[in-house]
Amino acid sequence: MDNQMIFDAVQEIFRDNFDDDTLVLTRETCADDIEDWDSLEQINLLTAMEKKFAIKFKLEDVRGLKNVGDLLDLVVRLTA
Amino acid sequence: MPNVYVITGATSDVGIALLGRLLATANREDVFIAQGCGDLHKLAPLCQAHPGQVRPFDVDLSDRAKVDVLIDLVGQSGLVPTHIIHLPALPVVNVKFKNFDEDRFAKDMEIQLYSIVRLCKAFLPAMAKAKFGRVLFIQTSYTIGCPPKNTAAYVMAKSALGGLLKSLAVEYARFGITVNCVAPSMMETHFLQDTPSLIVQAAAAENPMGRNATPADVVPAMEFLLSAEAGFITGVTLPVTGGSAIV
Repeated sequence: MDNQMIFDAVQEIFRDNFDDDTLVLTRETCADDIEDWDSLEQINLLTAMEKKFAIKFKLEDVRGLKNVGDLLDLVVRLTA
Repeated sequence: MPNVYVITGATSDVGIALLGRLLATANREDVFIAQGCGDLHKLAPLCQAHPGQVRPFDVDLSDRAKVDVLIDLVGQSGLVPTHIIHLPALPVVNVKFKNFDEDRFAKDMEIQLYSIVRLCKAFLPAMAKAKFGRVLFIQTSYTIGCPPKNTAAYVMAKSALGGLLKSLAVEYARFGITVNCVAPSMMETHFLQDTPSLIVQAAAAENPMGRNATPADVVPAMEFLLSAEAGFITGVTLPVTGGSAIV
């Protein structure tokens, strides 16, 4: 799966989770940009990504994520 | 007089731990009616260690007719329960309210609420006549203060149990029957099988004690509430949370 495919899949997960088909992510998108994005929603997003990409996050891996770019880099690393 | 324990959800991790603890100090004549559903093999070691004392019943608590059969069988045995302990629930699912599954919720309410309503209706009158009884439910710290998002079904069912607890406590206090709950924070058992691991890890990290509860934390509190010396404590929901939920 290349980086663009991962980005598209992550964006789809965000759209589904936040019930917003118009949501457009950038690498800089962060929790301040999406009203409902709190710690629990972050776990929901990560859990959906675990299923989608057949990966497993550890709490310490996801704690320092600042934005979508960090998240994408982590997914790319774990799926490599 | 022997104690007669009716334990629903006895095959759960908490149920097995509680049974083991109670059996360790029980009199030889005490009887434990232990309900499970399709998993009674989990009770085999306890049955072998305490022959005749543990009487397992395979009952689907979501089926009212089967609950009634259990009630009839206990009645026909001539045993009058002294202790009722109600533990079962469907596993917690983390679901947004827009995806709320009403059928699953109805089944959970049958298991968590209606089954114990029927059991209490059947057994409490005789317990009241005997002037002694202990009733204990397991609730959740989610009903204390602000619950986590996406757990509406679980919180509603457990809150309904809390309502039953308070109502029974005042109605039966004069008959020497206490009705109480323990309310653990997230407890690491098979019950969490449908809970994402990240949620479990995050709950442990956020707990003031730095970990989640285990049955070994909760069962001693249950044993105390079931004891004779806890006779003046009723209507209580006792948090067992490591400080993550404080009344």
